[in-house]
Amino acid sequence: MKDSEKPANEKGDADIAVSEYLTFRLGQEEYGIDILKVQEIRGYESPTRIANVPAFIKGVINLRGTIVPIVDMRLKFNCPKVDYDAFTVVIILNLQHRIVGIVVDSVSDVMSLGSGQMRAAPDIDSIIDADSIVGLGSLEDRMLILLDIEKLMSSPDMGLVTAAG
Amino acid sequence: MADVHQEGSGSGADFDLSQFYQIFFEEAGENLDQMEQMLLNLNLETADDEELNGIFRCAHSIKGGAATFGFSDVAELTHKMESLLDKLRRHELQPTSEMVDVLLESADASRALLACHQSGTVGQGPATGALVQRIRSFVEGGTPSPNVAVPAVAAPAAAVVASVQPVQATVSTPEAAPTGSASGVARQLLIRLSKLDHAAQADAIAELFRDIPGLGEIKPVVAPDVASDERVFEVQTSSSNDDLLDLFAFHVSREQVSIQEVTPVDAGAPASAGATVAVEPAAYGFFDGAPGAPQPHTAGPATTVRPADVVKGSVAKAANAGAVQPEAATIRVAISKVDQLINLVGELVITQAMLAQNSRALDPAVYQQLLTGLSDLDRNTRDLQESVMSIRMIPMSVVFSRFPRMLRDLANKLGKKVEFVTQGEATELDKGLVEKITDPLTHLVRNSCDHGIELPADRIKAGKPEAGTITLSAAHQGGSIVIEVRDDGKGMSREKILAKARERGMDVSDQLTDSEVWQLIFAPGFSTAEVVTDVSGRGVGMDVVKRNITALNGTVDIESAEGYGMCVSVRLPLTLAIMDGMSVGVGNEVYILPLSSVVESFQVRSDAVSTVGQDSQLVKVRDEFMPVIELEKVFQVPRFDTDKTSDMMVVIEADGSRVVLLVDELLGQQQVVVKNLESNYRKVPNVSGATILGDGKVALILDTGALVRRSRH
Repeated sequence: MKDSEKPANEKGDADIAVSEYLTFRLGQEEYGIDILKVQEIRGYESPTRIANVPAFIKGVINLRGTIVPIVDMRLKFNCPKVDYDAFTVVIILNLQHRIVGIVVDSVSDVMSLGSGQMRAAPDIDSIIDADSIVGLGSLEDRMLILLDIEKLMSSPDMGLVTAAG
Repeated sequence: MADVHQEGSGSGADFDLSQFYQIFFEEAGENLDQMEQMLLNLNLETADDEELNGIFRCAHSIKGGAATFGFSDVAELTHKMESLLDKLRRHELQPTSEMVDVLLESADASRALLACHQSGTVGQGPATGALVQRIRSFVEGGTPSPNVAVPAVAAPAAAVVASVQPVQATVSTPEAAPTGSASGVARQLLIRLSKLDHAAQADAIAELFRDIPGLGEIKPVVAPDVASDERVFEVQTSSSNDDLLDLFAFHVSREQVSIQEVTPVDAGAPASAGATVAVEPAAYGFFDGAPGAPQPHTAGPATTVRPADVVKGSVAKAANAGAVQPEAATIRVAISKVDQLINLVGELVITQAMLAQNSRALDPAVYQQLLTGLSDLDRNTRDLQESVMSIRMIPMSVVFSRFPRMLRDLANKLGKKVEFVTQGEATELDKGLVEKITDPLTHLVRNSCDHGIELPADRIKAGKPEAGTITLSAAHQGGSIVIEVRDDGKGMSREKILAKARERGMDVSDQLTDSEVWQLIFAPGFSTAEVVTDVSGRGVGMDVVKRNITALNGTVDIESAEGYGMCVSVRLPLTLAIMDGMSVGVGNEVYILPLSSVVESFQVRSDAVSTVGQDSQLVKVRDEFMPVIELEKVFQVPRFDTDKTSDMMVVIEADGSRVVLLVDELLGQQQVVVKNLESNYRKVPNVSGATILGDGKVALILDTGALVRRSRH
């Protein structure tokens, strides 16, 4: 996946690859992640808390017998308002070596983006590591922040993996 | 349902040895498949160490198992294969396609031998003498000398049976015709050796039959027409002519030998014999011994047609498939399928509990049928859950009971006296783990017996009892399973290991700690044994042990005291071990304590708690002061109801010390399935795993070992 995105990202002209993205909202921002990484979407249920972890790690839930950690992306990205209500959803991601759930405000839809609609992300000083942003998707007046969710979730400050060594 | 129960009780009662045979046969089969695959993929010019090591390990594992169960023919053949492979992986020899051929044939032969053992028709397996000889010639020859080259080059031609070998229609001499197809069936032959330089050559041939078990019987024949430079023997053998010729090639050249079939009684039916063979290509050669395969009456002349494109593996499988074997009693299923089943049943139980909860308010008079249905569902789900759980869990005794026999044979062979003690046989372990831990444990126990325990005389000299003791124990400890192999032998010598490591070009300093030194023995090919026996000493064992255990996320630790023995402890994480747990409540949260580490619990009296340094708490239990750990603080449990405080104390014991945990309440005892937190998350301090409670919530299991250690600092 990453390989096919890269040229599009860098050149941004030829329509080489069309990728599908699941889009979701965090506050006013709209994000997109590779649909192939998504296992399922479920309602929020209160997880079992784990002691001594960052606030954005809500705990673990039982997903049909598998223990899955839940990360609240709104806390991670410092969203001002964090509610848990009927619309709060958990996206279960099936990453390379693990299953992780992320809490988002709402899931919008699935979009196909050609490389013509993708722009390289400008250098910005943000809480999200620039490496984890694949690019920006522009759809008429909407802007999608396309995340490399695999990279984001395995980054050390996520605390999901034991630090190497 | 009834079937399941019957099945369960039946297998529980039948703990005979054949059960373990079955495991071995399955494992060996897998190893052979794997070896074959690797051999076929082996690139001769650029064979890398990893591949060669892999093939070598396969052979080693089969040998180990075969020796354990007393299948000496298989063990002997694989030992020879191992010798050759060992030279290859040490780069003392360059692999050639002839070697690969021989190894493949040996693998086929091993398979056939195993099939014979499995079906109980011992003695009908193929003769392995020729193969053993050929391998030996490679091993000893290094670069094949002209003398040795004969069998080596002849190998592909002779490649008996199932090699991808078209019929050599040109070979029409009566001797050569029944090639291959005749092996496996005892035949009467008349062998004439002509133009001998001296008679001793003939004697050497006769000796061959004495030296190679299973080759057959030989009798010299004194006939009037025998010339002075000729010898005639009457031979009864199950080997094919080509095999015999290969063997003889060490002593006499091929042209000097002529083999004549002594026509047995049933020679009158060559046509029917030919027909049988043509219909059943699987019946060729080495696999004649396989059960179920028809025994062709191959005495007839060359009416047989060799199938041109039969690939080795498929022949073996065809022979096996046609066989009616007891293995139908078990099936091998992917662990992931069982896991999925277990998870689904878990979900079902939770759904069922929810239904039961919701239906409680219903009026029984109105909804009688529904309620009956629900109670049936309740019972059935519980039965189902039990059955499904029992699929995976087996007691360690299944593994342990493989060893007494092996140790006995081994000790006899080595002239040692060994007592075998097992502890914690009832410890239940996941089937997947048991299968994977068996091989490493076998290596460890063999190592202990071979390297650890001294000869009786040496033991007496050292002031120890004549018989050494090897202890195998299993226990749950701090969320892991610890399996220890302990012996009271001579232990390991730090100096010897360091010297050996330097000899092998490893960069080691004298400053290494003992435990670092012991870790050196896990390097591939590392062995301090002076002599390579078929027991151990090639240095493959520990390498495999380490690799297998690391693959299970486990660790291996060695303690050793020279002169007093050593102890190898294998620590495995619990992936799916069932544990008796005690659930305790703290605030609104539930934690699980391993019941095995709970000593007692009691309501605390405020005067029993005293403080040290205003902070650390101690409680006096009877006459002992014990440190108090407040779970509320350790896990930062939020407290909504400020009036309530923890006033229940649970004494736990781990790692030999005791601490007291302060909790709100005791909720009950239950069996919990231990789930790994680390598969999707990471290690959490003071927590060994997680489990799923009846209501579907996740509860964390406390790592009592870590809690105890915490109090020490």
